[in-house]
Amino acid sequence: MIVCSRCSKENQDHYKFCLGCGAELPRESSKPKAFSAPTPPGGSPKVGTGTKPPRRMQAAEALVAAEPVAQAREVDPPRPVQAVRSKPAAAVEALPQELAPLAEEAQPCVNCGAQVPENFRFCHVCGHDLHAAPATNVRSDVPEERVSAPAVAAAPQRSVARAKLILIQPDGSEGEAFPLEDGSTLIGRSTGGIFANDAYLSPEHSEFRFEGDQLVVKDMESLNGIYIRVEAEVPIELFDGSVFRVGQEILRFEAPTAPDPAPDGTQLMGSPHQGFLGRVCLVIGRETTGNCFPIPPAGIHLGRERGDVVFPEDGYVSGLHCRIHSEVGHVFLTDLGSSNGTFVRVLNESFVPKGTFVLMGQQLFRADY
Amino acid sequence: MEQARNYVCTECASAVPSGHKFCGACGGGVPSEAQTLETKYFGALQMPGKARLIVVRGDEAMGEGLSYLLQATEHVAGREADQIPFPSDNWLSPHHANFHYRGDRLVVRDEGSLNGVYIRTRGATPIQIGDHFMCGQQLFRVDATPKDSSGAEADQTYFYSSPRRPSAFRVTQILEGGMDGIVCCAHERTVEIGREDCDINFPDDVHMSPRHARVEMSGDTLELVDAGSQNGTYVRIRGERELSHGDYLFLGRNLLRVEVTA
Repeated sequence: MIVCSRCSKENQDHYKFCLGCGAELPRESSKPKAFSAPTPPGGSPKVGTGTKPPRRMQAAEALVAAEPVAQAREVDPPRPVQAVRSKPAAAVEALPQELAPLAEEAQPCVNCGAQVPENFRFCHVCGHDLHAAPATNVRSDVPEERVSAPAVAAAPQRSVARAKLILIQPDGSEGEAFPLEDGSTLIGRSTGGIFANDAYLSPEHSEFRFEGDQLVVKDMESLNGIYIRVEAEVPIELFDGSVFRVGQEILRFEAPTAPDPAPDGTQLMGSPHQGFLGRVCLVIGRETTGNCFPIPPAGIHLGRERGDVVFPEDGYVSGLHCRIHSEVGHVFLTDLGSSNGTFVRVLNESFVPKGTFVLMGQQLFRADY
Repeated sequence: MEQARNYVCTECASAVPSGHKFCGACGGGVPSEAQTLETKYFGALQMPGKARLIVVRGDEAMGEGLSYLLQATEHVAGREADQIPFPSDNWLSPHHANFHYRGDRLVVRDEGSLNGVYIRTRGATPIQIGDHFMCGQQLFRVDATPKDSSGAEADQTYFYSSPRRPSAFRVTQILEGGMDGIVCCAHERTVEIGREDCDINFPDDVHMSPRHARVEMSGDTLELVDAGSQNGTYVRIRGERELSHGDYLFLGRNLLRVEVTA
């Protein structure tokens, strides 16, 4: 724990800048400690759910960080993006309780030992399923067919379709199915079929492959990326540059930046800085954002009609859609049981749990296996 | 019975009109205050063309209600200034602004300060892209709409952007420390700022009026219009500015009122 000398905010040991005021924290204590409670292995965010290494990370640090990340991914259980669906209506009803200040009580993760807030279903550090048994129970209401799928998939098979991408048509009905075979499958405008006419897909957009019995998608440096639907009420960590989609809106999270020190001791004046967690910005171009909103320490809610940031003109956004909030010094995005879901952009690659919805170009797919 | 209409000589009791140094009848001396009829001021504050700055909201160390009489030709305000010091306000540069006279007029000049000098607007004030202004405790910058960076790649892939609408300009909030805060793209040709029901709302800012100010594009020019707010809207001056009686200035956290005797 580093206590900021300027604003007295408590910051985690690997922070370089104060989360409260952006002041630079003393360097000596800012070295990442291996496997200390909430520090991710290697002191770096994981590749996967639309994350990006902090912009301030130097090239050398990035190289060092790259390896632990790769190792972490191999030993990691599935991402906290699960096929388990909670009932949207019930989730929205439950919200007022959700809004109550979260208890500081934390429980250790049985997998990595990180202190995890009690309301988390998955460890925010390693992604371990903390309620494995209840989750299985929930899965029992998934159709029989899909429950039995893992057993089939686990058996070694050759060049047989192990998974299907089911096109979800605008009216919600299922369209064409695109088979994913045992090796890797490249998808893009150049692969033809249902992808040929989507101008928002790059010629080589994504690649699907299996790692064990897990489906993995890799972004082939596509222009518009791949978005994966997150499960309702499961917090997903946001990092500087994380991109997510709500209705038709592409939003980007920006971590707070450190103030520039003035040589004569003068500080840049401005509106009161209430210890903002960062900003959420509307992406309207490759390098361009439109409206932006700072996120106060208490977090913000986003929705079509309710919340701190509203999208009254986007009919694909639910009345109250998702929220951005802070827990144990990290910033999270949580879908609040929205009808159309909250999608997080895959940075490099990500696991695609069974039944997950995937957005590529203008089309929505469900990964069935 | 009447009072004598002139000075009366103490030697011979003859009347001596003003302008005489000696009594015409006896040659006795006339005291200097009786020689001319020039009226003196009770105090230097009454001197024409001399101004005074009153600290309406001030530096913690110097307090409020202080006033500075600007009797010299130049008066420097700043964190390390001698004449008008604000030692504990780190939003002020060491030498922040210079108050001086040009002819009869008081002029304030920004001495290249980091945070500038803000003057309360009177009526609609023309502003330009890049100008800064203050409402309540909030600081803003007027920005141009960035060039469209969506559109197709060389390989004919189109960039997927959030739905957009045309916007003439945008207003960006600047947070303490320099980070950008709220960005609001003009809906039509106006961005309105206040506590409630505006385009940018600050329900917690007790110094802001419910509807405080707006930035408007009229024709090709931008205007900053105070909507009758209680505490006013302040715009950063470029270079220097002539001041009038009743002007309000923000230097860092300090609010000053200008008093000039005409």
